[in-house]
Amino acid sequence: MTTTDPPLLVCDSVAKSFGSLTAVRQLSFTAGRGEILGVGGPNGAGKTTLFEVMSGLNPATSGRVLLEGRDITHASPEAICHAGIARTFQLNACFDSLTVRENVEVGAIFGRSGRMLPNLRPSPEMQQATDDALDLVGLSARQGLVAGSLPVLDRKLLMVAGAMATRPKLLLMDEPVGGLTHAETDLMMATVRRIAATGVTIILIEHVMRFLVALSDRVMILHHGERIYEGSAAGLVQDRRVIDVYLGEGASARLAALLREGRHEPA
Amino acid sequence: MTPLRRDIAASIALVAAMAVVPLIFDTRYVITQLTVFFIWGIVVTQWNLVLGVAGIFSLAQMALFAVGAYGTAMLAYYGGMAMVPAMVIASLATVGVSLVIGFACLRLKGPYVALLTLAIAQMLYLIVVNDTGCFTNPPSGCLPLLGGVRGFSRFGDLGFRDLLGSKWFVGHYYVGLGLLLVAQVFCAFLIRGPLGLAFRALRDNPGYAMSRGVGRLKYQLWVFGLSAFFTGLAGAFYVAHFGVVGPIVFSVSMLLFLLAMIVVGGMGTVWGPLLGAAVLMIADEGLREVGDWREIGLGLVLAGFVILLPRGLVGLRRR
Repeated sequence: MTTTDPPLLVCDSVAKSFGSLTAVRQLSFTAGRGEILGVGGPNGAGKTTLFEVMSGLNPATSGRVLLEGRDITHASPEAICHAGIARTFQLNACFDSLTVRENVEVGAIFGRSGRMLPNLRPSPEMQQATDDALDLVGLSARQGLVAGSLPVLDRKLLMVAGAMATRPKLLLMDEPVGGLTHAETDLMMATVRRIAATGVTIILIEHVMRFLVALSDRVMILHHGERIYEGSAAGLVQDRRVIDVYLGEGASARLAALLREGRHEPA
Repeated sequence: MTPLRRDIAASIALVAAMAVVPLIFDTRYVITQLTVFFIWGIVVTQWNLVLGVAGIFSLAQMALFAVGAYGTAMLAYYGGMAMVPAMVIASLATVGVSLVIGFACLRLKGPYVALLTLAIAQMLYLIVVNDTGCFTNPPSGCLPLLGGVRGFSRFGDLGFRDLLGSKWFVGHYYVGLGLLLVAQVFCAFLIRGPLGLAFRALRDNPGYAMSRGVGRLKYQLWVFGLSAFFTGLAGAFYVAHFGVVGPIVFSVSMLLFLLAMIVVGGMGTVWGPLLGAAVLMIADEGLREVGDWREIGLGLVLAGFVILLPRGLVGLRRR
């Protein structure tokens, strides 16, 4: 990635209010191609609302969202998916009665274009996209199971596979490791690294700071719908405001120790 | 063998078996009852697409059936049109009406769809029966534009009386069987293919489906429109078969009878509705002697299945 590239995503003074409650205020930021942008902040900071705005499920009250220079602020969720933004959800969204493979096929068949009528059967290219996405998250062996019967880690991986099957340019991940064990978090981390290696830009929301700092090229911390920090993960523990409103002294110290250890690890 | 090929093979085998029935039993009663089974079979397989596969609780199916039936009768009666073109035009008109109903239901969910579609069906019923002004005055007496409480009769038939003489009903039997085959194969293609995947995805989780590129408006209109064609055609064939149509097609007891077929057989499955139609028609035959108890028995069967076997008879096998 060179700095002269125009950013993939531009959010320009985006605001979202629900009546008198302002969830996101005049937020402007960009995400460059191939970048991993981490988003953190206390509960109610407006992180998920920001994703709702970007993915079109709850469009912005004012401001603009641009993907590759194209205004998608008021586009429908399916049009935004076709434009190249795929999203995973904080709650483990699944098509419960469909098989694992069918869950991924939905993204592969409908995620690319908004044709009036889909093919009579999935094209070889769609089947390939489904296979690739299942391989990417390691669910190929379980593709015949009904999604509703899967444990939580597999449901989260399935959501990622469904998103990747749409072959997105930008992947929005909302708390991909919320509720997972330490080992499961590591597995998800490896999955995200594999996705990033394919060149997909990722914006991820996460409270698990170990996960957020290990993956993010850049971190943005929100509080009451406003940005209070944007910069390197290492800078988080030196920022007074981030420590005061979000991390707290204890977590901040643990995170600082983690960052020091991390420096000695091979990249 | 893929599930789709299995379904098609099973459909053809079933039809082949049914095709020899008139060669063995030629009693008019058996053949006619089976013809009625084909008609209800078509209606429930199509209704199941909306109700079971797409998960939209539409109760408008019998109103659509009525549009096909009344459309055919009116085109033939007033327009003097031959039966077959009248049936095709009426079926296409049914698609149009269904798209309007689908559009009206778009912003509603669950029981609200049921309420709105039932209201539409009852409204159509009231329009028909409250139409009492004479539109024409045939020898049989004053006839309102929409037939009123009496409905339409004497508007022609499919021509089997000339062709087969006293065995005309056998001709209807084969037409019904052919329509059922086409409708059933159409359903299997739809349920097993990408369109069915879109319908099922929207049923399971609409928000998630939209963010995976499945447009709710588009696919809701597709399922309403596609399922309406054969429903309208079933209505049109009903008219051609009985040679009469009246407001009874709007009755709630008929609606419940067909709904019960889908629930008993298994909502959302390829074969459940047909199986349910067969089981309930046989049960109904058995309960014919007991009069009013028939409706109560039907209600009990429906309640029992919802509580004990929510996935229907087909669901038993998958346990």
